Amino acid sequence: MVQLAPADILPPPGAGRSSRLVSAFADRYFKWLMIAPAAILILALSIYPLLFSLWVNFVNYDFQIPGHDFVGLQNFLQVIQDPLASSALVLTILLSLTVVAIEFVLGLALALAMVRTFRGRGIVMSLLVMPLFISPVIVGQSWALFLQRPFGPADYLLGQLVGHPVNISWVGEVPWVYIAIVIADVWQWTPFMFVILLAGLAAIPQHLYEAAELDGIGGLQTFVHITLPQLAPIITLALTFRLLDAVKLFDIIFMLTGGGPGTATYTASFYLYQIGFQQFHLSIATAGSWIFLILLSVVIMVLVRRLLRVEAA
Amino acid sequence: MANVKVSALHKHFGPVHAVRGIDLDIPDGEFTVLVGPSGCGKSTLLRTIAGLEEIDEGRIEIGGEIVNEMRPRDRDVAMVFQDYALYPHMTVFGNISLSLRARRMAKSEMEERVGRVADMLGIKSLLERYPRQLSGGQRQRVAIGRAIVRNPRVFLFDEPLSNLDAQLRDEMRGEIKRLHQEIATTMIYVTHDQVEAMTLADRIVLLRDGVIEQQGAPLDLFEQPTTLFVAGFLGSPRMNFVKGRLEGGPDGVAVKLNGGGPAWPLPRGRNPVLANGAEVIVGLRPEHVGRAGTGPAAQGFARVEAAIELVQPTGSRSYATFKLADQPVMAELQAHDISHAGERMCVDINLRRVSLFDPGTGKAL
Repeated sequence: MVQLAPADILPPPGAGRSSRLVSAFADRYFKWLMIAPAAILILALSIYPLLFSLWVNFVNYDFQIPGHDFVGLQNFLQVIQDPLASSALVLTILLSLTVVAIEFVLGLALALAMVRTFRGRGIVMSLLVMPLFISPVIVGQSWALFLQRPFGPADYLLGQLVGHPVNISWVGEVPWVYIAIVIADVWQWTPFMFVILLAGLAAIPQHLYEAAELDGIGGLQTFVHITLPQLAPIITLALTFRLLDAVKLFDIIFMLTGGGPGTATYTASFYLYQIGFQQFHLSIATAGSWIFLILLSVVIMVLVRRLLRVEAA
Repeated sequence: MANVKVSALHKHFGPVHAVRGIDLDIPDGEFTVLVGPSGCGKSTLLRTIAGLEEIDEGRIEIGGEIVNEMRPRDRDVAMVFQDYALYPHMTVFGNISLSLRARRMAKSEMEERVGRVADMLGIKSLLERYPRQLSGGQRQRVAIGRAIVRNPRVFLFDEPLSNLDAQLRDEMRGEIKRLHQEIATTMIYVTHDQVEAMTLADRIVLLRDGVIEQQGAPLDLFEQPTTLFVAGFLGSPRMNFVKGRLEGGPDGVAVKLNGGGPAWPLPRGRNPVLANGAEVIVGLRPEHVGRAGTGPAAQGFARVEAAIELVQPTGSRSYATFKLADQPVMAELQAHDISHAGERMCVDINLRRVSLFDPGTGKAL
């Protein structure tokens, strides 16, 4: 039998005021409590170092020179006057434009081929995107082994293909070393372009193609008049993402060429790594990073503006 | 300008047999409306004529030429889609002129033709706008403009008005009809809306489950439906169906409703060949049930007393529901013939316009 509590043992009104206050407090501030760990992490690992680096820009912070004297713009001048810095920047620009252009063309071609359904599409798709799931360091190492002379299979296979022995020093000679980097990067990141562009292609309404077909628009014209304009926002997005990633090119260089031969494959990231973490000129590396960041911000701003404009349209 | 002939057409979508052997002959310049409930195969039939769907069996001819293997772009037909399918990144001018540009037409001629079409549809001021800046009705006009600018042999419309609100739909319906009168090209129009079908069509083709249930002039279908399905589909509010049985009498055949009441003698000429006592379904259109006048019921009318249960005024007319031999029946009355539910009144039923159906086969008797 259910026992009902008699009314006189219920708490009198007002007795729960303190607990109500606690719950009101919790209701109001619970959300802050929930985001606190993430906020603290970001503050500690991103914001603090960023602000700290602002200070480092203008002082001596070098493992080879004791003390943290104010040096004005000296750190920036050091970077700007270093010919290696400017050649690394130029190489970064050329390499990233090259790889992104090739990845875009290949990715678009693949996406156009894969947008139709056919038997075995799932398996082909899985194979195509596999490189995306491999750590760039492993990709660099694998290509280093593949291209290594004389034991790697690359030269042998090429020799079989062209019918006479091939002896290319892929990581020891200009221009082959650039080609090697481009091949490794394109191998890894074409799937990224492919996946994004495929999603964009699949989202184009089928009715537009039907209307175009009935309007008498041919295949190439359909691509020019329907597919490309419809895909434009996605193309901008994919290029932006990929370009931002490509200018940070480091892992593949680190594993494949180590910046060599000589300093021929120093990219901006690799240069800053060398200055900062190999030679420990930390303040110079910081100043270099800031210069790179500012240059990059200009590019980002242009691209993001384009993206937003597409969005608004 | 061309006729369209469809013979023994079959189309499957996997296990679904969407079109089951359709034969259709549409003369040049006719406005044909394919109508039917969702899933009856009307859109599929239209898309096979356009060439957007391949056919499994049968033959499609446009202008006497078999087009089975022909690509849509070579068939010289134009289509207006339900969701307009305008090119979103092009202006109205770009949308209308794309097919002309694809044919490498001279710019001056192109502008002249687009201008003429835009004039005809009243969208001349919108030529520089983008589809997203247009209202639904304006988009529909642009879609029609895109179709007519290149003078196709046949126009296909796939439920073009179903995304518009009621008022705009009425307006556009009138414009499409006017357009057909102006350019007199063969038009095939798909809709599930029987009002659209009735108002637009030279000929209605009523489809059901992938076959043609009945085809003919709108009023023929309306007045002489060959099946229960056609009778119920056309007309708004729909035809009343009440169950009864046939009775032979001294003056010919009469119908007695299930649930009692006197037998109604059928007018001469309506002598269904069915045995005495056979079950029938009696079809009464609401407009053939009206308020009784003074004096006795006229020849060919049956008078019943009705206790009105529901009144739905529409302004010009009021629809009153009452029970006839225990079965609900709707009458179309003059707006002021009835004021409120619960009223009792006498109604006259026009027996000359009564339809009879065999409940087993659904066929008209």
